[in-house]
Amino acid sequence: MGLTDLMSMAKPNLESREKILRKLRSRDPINCFQCMKCTSGCTALKLLELEPHEIEKLVNFGFVDELAASDIIWTCVTCLKCVQRCPQKASPYHVIMALRNLSVEREAKVPEALMKAVSQILETGLAESYQKVTTRKMETCDRESLKLPKISAPTESFQAIFMKALEER
Amino acid sequence: MPGIGVYVCHCGLNIAGVVDVEKVTEYAAKLPDVAVARHYTYMCSDPGQRMIQEDIKAQKLDRVVIATCSPRMHEETFRKAVAEAGLNPYLLEIVNLREHVSWAHSHERKKATKKAMDLVKMGVARAKLLEPLEKRKVKVERNVLVVGGGIAGMQSALDLANAGFKVYLVEKSPSIGGRMAQLDKTFPTLDCSACILTPKMVDVAKHPNVTLLTNSEVTGVSGFVGNYEVTVTRRPRYVEEAKCVGCELCTQVCPVKVADKFNENLGQTRAICIYSSHAVPKVAIIDPKNCLRLKTKKKEVCGKCLQACEAEAINFEQKPETLKLKVGGVIIAVGSEVFDASKMPEFGYGRFKNVISNIEFERISDASGPTSGKIVSPLTGQAPKTIAFIQCVGSRDKRFHEYCCRVGCMVALKQAILAREKIGEDVRIYVCYIDLRSFGKGYEEFYRRARDLDIDFVDGVPSEIHCAQDGTLYFDVFEKGTNKLIEIRADLVVLANGLVPSGDVTRVNELFHASRSADGFLLEAHPKLRPLESSTAGIFLAGACQGPKDIPDTVAQASGAAAKIVDLLSSGEIELEPLKAFVDKDLCSGCRVCESVCPFLAIEMKPEVVDGEERLRAEVIEALCQGCGACCVACPTGAVRAKHFTDEQVLAQVEAACAVGEN
Amino acid sequence: MKVAVYWGCRILTSQFAYEMSVREAFPKLGVELVDFREAICCGDPVKSINDFASNYLGAKVLALANSTGLEDLLVPCNRCHFVVSEAKRLMDEDENTHNKIAALLKEEGLSYNPEVKVWHVIDFLHDHVGLGCVKKAVVKPLKGMKLAVHYGCQILRYSDLGRVDDAEDPRKLDGLIGAIGAETVDYAEKLDCCGSHLMYSHVDSGLSLAGQKLKAVQSLGVDGLVVSCPDCGTMFDAKQKDAAATAGAKLNVPVLYYTQLLGLALGIWQNKLGLHLNQSPVDQLLSKVTI
Repeated sequence: MGLTDLMSMAKPNLESREKILRKLRSRDPINCFQCMKCTSGCTALKLLELEPHEIEKLVNFGFVDELAASDIIWTCVTCLKCVQRCPQKASPYHVIMALRNLSVEREAKVPEALMKAVSQILETGLAESYQKVTTRKMETCDRESLKLPKISAPTESFQAIFMKALEER
Repeated sequence: MPGIGVYVCHCGLNIAGVVDVEKVTEYAAKLPDVAVARHYTYMCSDPGQRMIQEDIKAQKLDRVVIATCSPRMHEETFRKAVAEAGLNPYLLEIVNLREHVSWAHSHERKKATKKAMDLVKMGVARAKLLEPLEKRKVKVERNVLVVGGGIAGMQSALDLANAGFKVYLVEKSPSIGGRMAQLDKTFPTLDCSACILTPKMVDVAKHPNVTLLTNSEVTGVSGFVGNYEVTVTRRPRYVEEAKCVGCELCTQVCPVKVADKFNENLGQTRAICIYSSHAVPKVAIIDPKNCLRLKTKKKEVCGKCLQACEAEAINFEQKPETLKLKVGGVIIAVGSEVFDASKMPEFGYGRFKNVISNIEFERISDASGPTSGKIVSPLTGQAPKTIAFIQCVGSRDKRFHEYCCRVGCMVALKQAILAREKIGEDVRIYVCYIDLRSFGKGYEEFYRRARDLDIDFVDGVPSEIHCAQDGTLYFDVFEKGTNKLIEIRADLVVLANGLVPSGDVTRVNELFHASRSADGFLLEAHPKLRPLESSTAGIFLAGACQGPKDIPDTVAQASGAAAKIVDLLSSGEIELEPLKAFVDKDLCSGCRVCESVCPFLAIEMKPEVVDGEERLRAEVIEALCQGCGACCVACPTGAVRAKHFTDEQVLAQVEAACAVGEN
Repeated sequence: MKVAVYWGCRILTSQFAYEMSVREAFPKLGVELVDFREAICCGDPVKSINDFASNYLGAKVLALANSTGLEDLLVPCNRCHFVVSEAKRLMDEDENTHNKIAALLKEEGLSYNPEVKVWHVIDFLHDHVGLGCVKKAVVKPLKGMKLAVHYGCQILRYSDLGRVDDAEDPRKLDGLIGAIGAETVDYAEKLDCCGSHLMYSHVDSGLSLAGQKLKAVQSLGVDGLVVSCPDCGTMFDAKQKDAAATAGAKLNVPVLYYTQLLGLALGIWQNKLGLHLNQSPVDQLLSKVTI
């Protein structure tokens, strides 16, 4: 659902807001005074309509649940320009990441490719699988043929430990 | 046997809402040596004070304990009250039942009441041991030092000079006038700044009570309130003030071009020049770092100015002069600086020629400036087609300065209006802001005027500014009102750089021990009620050095500071609080530990002959002593004691607090 | 000098040229690389899922570095560098998280050492090895070559975390290119993002961002674009054709890792630097380099 659709039924939930602020270990986001710098420079604005200042304001008012259920929080490119330029240290990127975590916790929408990366890490330790690449002359190469050293996968114990870490709230 | 009067104040409900004042009064009445104990709603009021005074007379009380709010509030008031009743004012003890009890323990009535009773017991124990003390009077100098010759310093100087005080006005640059002399017009009236300033500059220079010391700096300060000795160093101009007629022939022949500081380095002047267009004094000055003769130190080099000067005013041999001035009080008016926006590279200041600061815009707009008042885009020299003002650069920003610079919005409005009036309709003007603050008298009307002139107000600021190949600037701003991303192309961008504490403030901090607040400006004694006094007695603050402000507030503060000086010095003497340290010479071994720990340099060692031998004995300089007690703690023999805070008095309170077996 | 090296995922699994060029060039500058005992993800994709788990992975990277006995860790990937830096900040400042993560690390016989310093290729070469040393080792200066630089986002921002170079006016990679004899050109889009993170969720937008940047670089008329991150490398090099299609432009920009150019300047043979693997038209740039 689009953010506008979600917001039309919205009720603020300050408890959810506290969850986000606690995760951020900072109360700085409530300092946002809507200068528009983050949105003016946002890499994802023109293509994906991400307005970080709006996210800040909605979180401050307590409309966290709606944001966690929205698509918009998944449009952030993580370029970190908003964190760099914000004059009040309100750091929209960190707020968006916290909202994403909340979305996962509530089993709302998560891009498939990200979930795939996480299961890949559980299985092999890496987020990607070893690939074969082609040269410009259309020859195929891989790590072995390029004589690059083999680095072992993590031991079996890693999976359980990583699962434990994923369960932390 | 001393009879003690104990008075417990309700402070309305401030104390009585938490503390059971009746119970405390009953308890006090039963304490040994307490002759009378009363409680009342507002002890500091007339009836409250009269109650105490009548008791003093009727019951012949010789000690008074008032359990009320913090002594910082009304100790002075109560001291006057008991003095009027014939009791020495230092035989009064204030017990703090508000800040220390009711406000701190507002949710625990029982415990708060118990604490109140304990504090009163301690107060009574101490009161018994208090000694009568007398204030001392010292003569004061009737001269005043004003540091800084901008509008603040000038206003204070004129007020004081008119009041009959002799004023030394010290200004570090070659002319007075300060920041206001650099402005084109002033908001909200659009008065020509030079037109309203220059008459004051001339008045200052001509006033018989003002000694104008330009190109000078304060380099040393000693003494205390009423009796300061200040060292002023006059840097050489290499031009004799008395002879120079200000004809500027020297400037015309000088071969060395230097950056023009008064014009914010937008133009160039010569190594010998008159500092600014309306300089007072109108005397040339040579820059020793750039003058060929002075920097090479060779007597045969150049000298064209020497040849050209018909008044024979040039003197390459001039040396720095040191003056020692005795003054009774000081007004600090050193002003502020403008934020250096090259600290925010994302806006391109310093890299892109068409991005300028607000102060640079002033010089461009000023008829006496580098473009003779034509507003032009620095790169092309032509009138801009689009101007964008960006607000809050370096201000309201945790990365640089958290405070609001107070004048940025009004300056931008003024400059936008001037741009419209000078260029006409053929220019698009944007003001990109976070909040638009037009708070003063006539300021909101000024904002309306700007909107009426078809100036576009963009509710939002950009993240970064880019420069195209041809030098035009482009940036995106997300606008709150329309919820749209606006793409702006401008050939002139003016950054509203905020006012920041100047380097001079650090010097003042060191020389005068005037504290600074967290934002770096000079700290006032109380933010609401004492905005003109610094943390040091006798040093007053005026203008932007205490915090960024506009001209009306600066002038008001300057006149206020002058009035404070008049208040301080007009009677010719001041009273010193007797709460000082004193040395029992019989116990002093001359070890000098007290001298080494005193933060106010208030202890001197005096040689004395004892049993035929010359020994050093410590002596307290009462005028400098602030009664902090550090020496008393440090003294190994107990020779140094603090009046009104002797060990016996303090320990009596401790014993009272620790006594066992109470209700 | 010895340095522990952590490659992350993308370099090990597909961006072989970056790894090859680092392994070949660094020894010529007197640097010995020490690999970890195991290959593990730094936790970058996990940041969106569970930041505690992501920080655990980042801390594990630091703990694995500690196991090598060395106190300098080289992280050639921008995103890994950012994740590991944030994990380090948290381990150093948040006692609660530190203790929880330390317990998890202990289960694998690992421990976190606050003395481990995190480097990227750029600041390692510029500050630790030193520009002078790089210059001295050059045998074939890339004279006359004009290049545009792409630093990427996550090694420059955010300054408070302590990054590799100045966020608004980075100059170290420019300096390193100067040290090998080539020139760099400044451009307005220099600090713009490659869009790689969007490949998880909004592929077209990601490619669009890459395409826009490549278009801007192309109009500069330079010989090539230099990158130093495998994600940026993937977007600009491997996916240049896709980016061109999405952005509706004809793109013909040679894209190389800095270490590949460094290797050339140090006299190393092309294929050892993986230059046959670059998908973008690097041959036109290589022809300018005298063999």
